[in-house]
Amino acid sequence: MGHSDGDHESDLSADDSPWSEGSWSDDDEEGSLSFEDSGEGSDAESDEPDAAAAEESDSSEDEVAPRNTVGDVPLEWYKDEEHIGYDITGSKIKKRDREGRIEAYLRNADDAKSWRKIYDEYNDEEVQITKEEAKIISRLLKGKTPHTNVDPYPDYVDWFEYDGKGHPLSSAPEPKRRFVPSKWEQKKVVKLVRAIRKGWIKFDKPKEEPNFYLLWGDETDTADNKRQGLSYIPAPKPNLPGHEESYNPSVEYIPTQEEIDSYQLMYEEDRPKFIPRKFDCLRSVPAYEKALREGFDRCLDLYLCPRTRKKRINIDPETLKPKLPSKKDLRPYPRTCYLEFKGHNGQVKSLSVESTGQWVASGSSDGTIRVWEVETGRCIKVWNVGGVVHRVSWNPSPDRHILAAVVDHDLLLLNAEIGDEDIQMKTKGLLQIDESAPEEDTGDKKPAVKWVKHENFDGIMLIHHKAVSTVEWHFKGDYFTTVVPSGDSRAVLLHQLSKKHSHHPFRKLPGLPIAAVFHPSQKMFFVATKKFVQVYDLQKAQLVKKLESGVREISSISIHPGGDNVIVGSKDGKLCWFDTDLSTRPYKTLKNHSKDITNVTFHRKYPLFASSSEDCTAYVFHGMVYSDLNQNPLIVPLEILRGHSSSDGRGVLDCKFHPRQPWLFTAGADSVIRLYCD
Amino acid sequence: MPKHYRPAGKKKEGNAAKYITRSKAVKYLQISLATFRKICILKGVFPRDPKKKVEGNHKTYYHMKDIAFLVHDPLIEKFREIKVHRKKVKKAFAKKNKDLADRLLNRPPTYKLDRLILERYPTFVDALRDLDDCLTMVHLFAALPAVEGERVQVQRIHNCRRLSHEWQAYISRTHSLRKTFISVKGIYYQAEVQGQKVTWLTPHALQQVLTDDVDFNVMLTFLEFYETLLGFINFKLYHSINVNYPPVLDPRLEALASELYALCRYMSSGRVPGNSESAGLIEDKEDENNKESSKTDESEIRLAQLQHQLPTNEPGALMHLVQESTATDAEDADAKECKSLFRNLKFYLSREVPRESLLFIIPAFGGTVSWEGEGAPFDETDEDITHQIVDRPTQSHVFLSREYVQPQWIYDCVNARIILPTEGYFVGRVPPPHLSPFVDNDAEGYIPEYAETIKRLQAAAQNQVLPLPSIGDEDMENSLVEAIIDRSESNEVADKKRKLEMLEKQYHDELKMECEGMTFSNRTTDNPPDVMDKNDGKQAEKDAADISKALMSRKQRGLLQAIEIHQERKRDKVSLLKKRKKNADSSASAKGR
Repeated sequence: MGHSDGDHESDLSADDSPWSEGSWSDDDEEGSLSFEDSGEGSDAESDEPDAAAAEESDSSEDEVAPRNTVGDVPLEWYKDEEHIGYDITGSKIKKRDREGRIEAYLRNADDAKSWRKIYDEYNDEEVQITKEEAKIISRLLKGKTPHTNVDPYPDYVDWFEYDGKGHPLSSAPEPKRRFVPSKWEQKKVVKLVRAIRKGWIKFDKPKEEPNFYLLWGDETDTADNKRQGLSYIPAPKPNLPGHEESYNPSVEYIPTQEEIDSYQLMYEEDRPKFIPRKFDCLRSVPAYEKALREGFDRCLDLYLCPRTRKKRINIDPETLKPKLPSKKDLRPYPRTCYLEFKGHNGQVKSLSVESTGQWVASGSSDGTIRVWEVETGRCIKVWNVGGVVHRVSWNPSPDRHILAAVVDHDLLLLNAEIGDEDIQMKTKGLLQIDESAPEEDTGDKKPAVKWVKHENFDGIMLIHHKAVSTVEWHFKGDYFTTVVPSGDSRAVLLHQLSKKHSHHPFRKLPGLPIAAVFHPSQKMFFVATKKFVQVYDLQKAQLVKKLESGVREISSISIHPGGDNVIVGSKDGKLCWFDTDLSTRPYKTLKNHSKDITNVTFHRKYPLFASSSEDCTAYVFHGMVYSDLNQNPLIVPLEILRGHSSSDGRGVLDCKFHPRQPWLFTAGADSVIRLYCD
Repeated sequence: MPKHYRPAGKKKEGNAAKYITRSKAVKYLQISLATFRKICILKGVFPRDPKKKVEGNHKTYYHMKDIAFLVHDPLIEKFREIKVHRKKVKKAFAKKNKDLADRLLNRPPTYKLDRLILERYPTFVDALRDLDDCLTMVHLFAALPAVEGERVQVQRIHNCRRLSHEWQAYISRTHSLRKTFISVKGIYYQAEVQGQKVTWLTPHALQQVLTDDVDFNVMLTFLEFYETLLGFINFKLYHSINVNYPPVLDPRLEALASELYALCRYMSSGRVPGNSESAGLIEDKEDENNKESSKTDESEIRLAQLQHQLPTNEPGALMHLVQESTATDAEDADAKECKSLFRNLKFYLSREVPRESLLFIIPAFGGTVSWEGEGAPFDETDEDITHQIVDRPTQSHVFLSREYVQPQWIYDCVNARIILPTEGYFVGRVPPPHLSPFVDNDAEGYIPEYAETIKRLQAAAQNQVLPLPSIGDEDMENSLVEAIIDRSESNEVADKKRKLEMLEKQYHDELKMECEGMTFSNRTTDNPPDVMDKNDGKQAEKDAADISKALMSRKQRGLLQAIEIHQERKRDKVSLLKKRKKNADSSASAKGR
């Protein structure tokens, strides 16, 4: 039985190999049939050692119906019984008699085939197995295949095409859909067919059409030939090459080695992009390595650079300059240097012309005040005041020859000691000071000004509480004003000569005061601070106007003899002309000097004004003010006066007009006073 | 409140509404920046400079109308299609759907630029006006290495070569080349086509190197437009001289890389016979020269071309005749001069000279030319050769009947429009400096020495050759000379005047001083620095000029200063050149000694 089982298995394995399900099912049926057949089989058949038959036939013939029919029950149950079970008819099968051991041994020893005999406990019989079966058993015990002619490792023959399947073989039965035409494929085909019919899918390559044709045909149709849309701004053409780009430029276009080295010191954007080179012959010219780069840059310029139409001004620079009226019509005005007054040893800080125009006084940093005769250029008088003279000013009254001078910190009033006896006496009288004048004790506060008699000279010292910068006379000659820039609320002081009295009318000023001037004819007063000019009415004691200069720092101020026009010089070289009737802003701002303006001044009679500056020049202007209010003042620059030389970085420090003649005095830092005449 | 506050519900106005920044424009068009770039290049849309930059100074602004103009362009849709197509192909490949991929690749979406060109250049003259960049670019790409696998397709480089040769052939054929200049960057040419001056640069005929610092996408987009433009222009130009376009070339010559010559031959042979004598002349000459060698070939080519052309040319022959006659009438003196510059000269090019350039220039000025190599019309032993162009240190075998000159001679002759003496250009010598014909020496304020020499030679040639025929020209010349003389004279007169004035002034001053009773001793103090006086005089002049500056407004003063600075720089440049020249001369003379 055991062996037949093994056979069956081996057969199965051989049979299974075709894997087709149809054959598999057939096999099954056969198997079932064979079982039925096996019922007829007998024991004897099992004994037939017909290996070949067993191999070729199915298991049906090997099957031997067992004699015992107890089934698969433990045989122990029949241990104590007489029988071992029942046969097919139901009669008991008796146990055989047990042989003795010795008998058995002897029988075995006699029987050569005894080693092939096996005791079948179930049927209680001895079975002799054939030689072939024994061989099979021994092979099985060794773990080999039962039959020798079976190759356990045959070369594998693949029965299927696995390419493109992508899946392992499956034993699932073929579904129906594999045998039915696909609906979706059909749909797809229909779609494709339709697409092909309608020409959506084309198989032939597109035809080559002629690329070029006569694009610009008839040029006469003008309406069609207009470019649409915004105005086209053509890109500027690249610069045409100059001589220096030649492969063989003339020698002067090739920079020297030093020049090429100096390019390295330049900023990258200033550095020349192209350095000319000379090649002796055309064949030695190499390929230009930046060709692609330059082409690319041009492309970038073309599509990235914002374009605008710029008006290129191609004008003669001369036409930019304003037309001036002929200078000849505006004469007389100072043009050439006529006289030089030499004598000072230091910078001439200030000068002043006497009201008759006969004398001119000057103060210098060498500590002297000099009075010169204008016509001859002779020095009449020298006072050694022992301090830097910042400012001198003649009393404008013709019968008082008094000089006011700012020496160091304080003001000195001097008797000029010129003119006839009468006037000299009068002046002397004016300059007398009562020593026993009541010392007004103003408490703990130091008085702003103290009037003291000067020891050496016949004059009066006005001792201020802080340094004085300028002094200016009222046109009548009795009042004068001094400015103490750091004086806070006592910065601008008014003094009366006849009463020897001083007071400070302005409590508050917008900024540091620079200069203060009296109106030439009315009771008005101008105070120039750093940026503004304040105009006060002295009678009403109130602010009338505030002129905004718009310059950085005012340095000087002058009032037109008419009183309605003011000029202001500034430290950034600008000169502002104010027409106070017109506006509080400058009517005209002239930028004529490159350095600070030191002084500006109007002529008393002629329509002239002048400015002097640290850049060693003085400008003379024609400044005509019309009585007609509708007509704006006419300003014409007339002459640049040069001649002073610079010293210590300073140029012309002061300029004053002669009261009657069109002459200009200038005081220079080179210790010279010059007189310019027509 | 922000600077540009706009109340709600109020529309944008002014510059804020008129201009749009680039990033906003890209967003508005719903395209990528790269596509935006491409479409801007093709459509010729450029940023503009608004008066008020509402969104900031560092941004690029486009005019809203320009952008609106782009919105409706079919090109944008085409670009989208191309993008989609690319995706489809990629997807087909990814799904291994080879069929579909092949089918898609077979029919990629394409677009044409012809309407766009007409839109940008409504008239032909407009196109010619903007041709400079186009030609330079096409010639540059024609010089790039045509190597597979580089960033530029080989086919495009070949296309550029073809286009450039076609253009050159036309220029050469119609004798419209005017100026040439060999620079370090390449060779500049200037031609006059329909009254427009077209200047372009061709790189030296050496292999260019593709560098990494340029964006080839941008350049190739430009090139795409330029190729189309030049194609249409060439068509129009060829059409105007009754030659078929695109030309059919002799494959043998093409293979020998002498397309230009092939083109020239095509043009001269492809014309309807009897149109122009000069064309026939050249051809006849050529034919005589290489009767034996290439007669059979030529007849074949001609046959092919005639077949190609007959249907188009035959019916309009009469019309063309008329056109031709009017065209010759319209040709100005300039063209005539150019045509006959090298009329009776025959050139032979050695191996080492830039062949393409000379093959272009010499026929353009009426000369006949051959070269060393296969397919040449005549060879070196030809007896009629008058000039041989050589660029080598020594010439071993010398024909006595001809002159051996360096290539620069041709270029200088062309620029001077006369046949220059050849002494300076002999083999082995350093030729005289090569000067740019694009510089107006008078305006520049400095005339190089050799320019003056050429001018003298020109004047001499004119006197000899043209005593009568061009009276108008001479008049012009005379008036010019007169003008120059006038200018110099006026300068002199002004100088004299100034001197007189000075003297007068001095006299007046002295007189005045006398009147005012100035003593001589006082006067002397003023006088001694006589040298100073001169300076003063100058200073006074300057003052007189400058004095009105005080009255100028700030803006005008700034402008004036800018002009003055410019003039100053120009003067400096000239003075530097003069200084260098002086140094060079002195050192040369020192060496000579």
